[in-house]
Amino acid sequence: MATAAEQWVLVEMVQALYEAPAYHLILEGILILWIIRLLFSKTYKLQERSDLTVKEKEELIEEWQPEPLVPPISKDHPALNYNIVSGPPSHNIVVNGKKCVNFASFNFLGLLDNPRVKAAALASLKKYGVGTCGPRGFYGTFDVHLDLEDRLAKFMKTEEAIIYSYGFATIASAIPAYSKRGDIVFVDRAACFAIQKGLQASRSDIKLFKHNDMADLERLLKEQEMEDQKNPRKARVTRRFIVAEGLYMNTGTICPLPELVKLKYKYKARIFLEESLSFGVLGEHGRGVTEHFGISIDDIDLISANMENSLASIGGFCCGRSFVIDHQRLSGQGYCFSASLPPLLAAAAIEALNIMEENPGIFSVLKEKCKRIHKALQGISGLKVVGESLSPAFHLQLKDSTGSREKDVKLLQEIVNHCMDRSIALTQARYLEKEEKCLPPPSIRVVVTVEQTDEELERAARTIKEVAQAVLL
Amino acid sequence: VILLHIPFFSMPVVCTLTNVIHNLAMYVFLHTVKGTPFETPGQGKSQLLTHWEQMDFRLQFTSSRKFLSISPIVLYLLASFYTKYDAAYFLNTASLLSILLPKLPQLHGVHLFGINKY
Repeated sequence: MATAAEQWVLVEMVQALYEAPAYHLILEGILILWIIRLLFSKTYKLQERSDLTVKEKEELIEEWQPEPLVPPISKDHPALNYNIVSGPPSHNIVVNGKKCVNFASFNFLGLLDNPRVKAAALASLKKYGVGTCGPRGFYGTFDVHLDLEDRLAKFMKTEEAIIYSYGFATIASAIPAYSKRGDIVFVDRAACFAIQKGLQASRSDIKLFKHNDMADLERLLKEQEMEDQKNPRKARVTRRFIVAEGLYMNTGTICPLPELVKLKYKYKARIFLEESLSFGVLGEHGRGVTEHFGISIDDIDLISANMENSLASIGGFCCGRSFVIDHQRLSGQGYCFSASLPPLLAAAAIEALNIMEENPGIFSVLKEKCKRIHKALQGISGLKVVGESLSPAFHLQLKDSTGSREKDVKLLQEIVNHCMDRSIALTQARYLEKEEKCLPPPSIRVVVTVEQTDEELERAARTIKEVAQAVLL
Repeated sequence: VILLHIPFFSMPVVCTLTNVIHNLAMYVFLHTVKGTPFETPGQGKSQLLTHWEQMDFRLQFTSSRKFLSISPIVLYLLASFYTKYDAAYFLNTASLLSILLPKLPQLHGVHLFGINKY
């Protein structure tokens, strides 16, 4: 019965088909033709092909000269004449067989040679072995890692922290995790190379403002605000970030954090602070530039620091609110795709944190020493001190440059060599000249650590003065 | 999609409803929602593109695209056959056109009246 009913309906349908209005049949015909065209059309890319004729292509191919695989460089390129250090780069460093006082390694709190740190690392070595052989998501998470993250979060008084296994990769993975194409980042001209690489990887629009110049930054922010008002729908989707360093490695100055926070709230941007040199140096308890200025840490969205300087370990960490840091666990490239920190280094970092928490007096000692050597080095003929008096890593630049960067570098290298002969180990600040966005002038970088005694500081200041007199005059 | 036979509507209404609902769903999922529901590498390259534009690395006329273009046409032909070309016919035609036009390569990345642009 059902089939008969259906068939009857079908007959009715076919009848109706014959009575169909004309426009419908035309439409159906068009649609069938469209289907056939679709079925037979080829796939092609939307971007237009380049309009080079065959002849032009041949010309271009003939013009091309292969560059040599190894470009010719001069014999005294610094990478070819390096100094060989035997033994640990602690307070007394053995360079090329000569024992010197170390004014070049970033060992601010002297924790590199600390017996407690070494004992903790050895104990952890015996327990866990040397490496982790895996990223964090793939059996590379050990209890020391979680311990260290906890301790760092508690020390910096934030909700959560995340550990990276290489200091350079910390900020270079943290920035692209949040800032994508179409977002805007305002960054200082003197930002360090790691920040520059992170910004390059993030493919966002970068706006540089003059070093520590809040008026310039405000001008850029205002321009951006005017653009936003023209196109509010786009503005609602773009994110704005300000990236600044607590203590700049290239100039030794401290960023004006209170003004940055004010600008942040006025123009609705997010602040990423890079505290590699200021963690364990500034502030009463070593918590960095936020403690130094007395700003609540909740105002800063992300603090990223490098454990290779004060904590005398390897790796880096980011700390902030849970909501922010958790995102990096899946999208921080250096976290997900490289092996985690070796547990002996994590244990060493925990012990170093213990030491930092136990005697907060070392920070004021360090500040004293910085001020002292800063004063002692003023007034050298031919060299000027670049950096704040509180900064333990400052630069000595030539007062009047000779005009060519190579000659400057050679002069400074002579000064460094003479100082090394008198057993003061200094180094020049090295940059990848072709890759940096704003190349700083060549300089000698002097680092003050807690372990240097006052007389060593005096001797160093005297030596640098005499050498500078001899070389530059 | 063809399970709409279950409710006790009559056959023509069912076909119209199937056609319209299928086209609406396809429009929302392929041509309205932008970006990806999961994180992709490429730093937000596909943030502003709908799924249709992102399909097959932005190549036009690949097999998946052809299939998805032809299926609403087939549904339309079936629906118009079964409804015997009555009043709901224009509804079917309108919904077919609205789903075929965004699939044209000329309309890749075009946003009418600035709707859905960012």
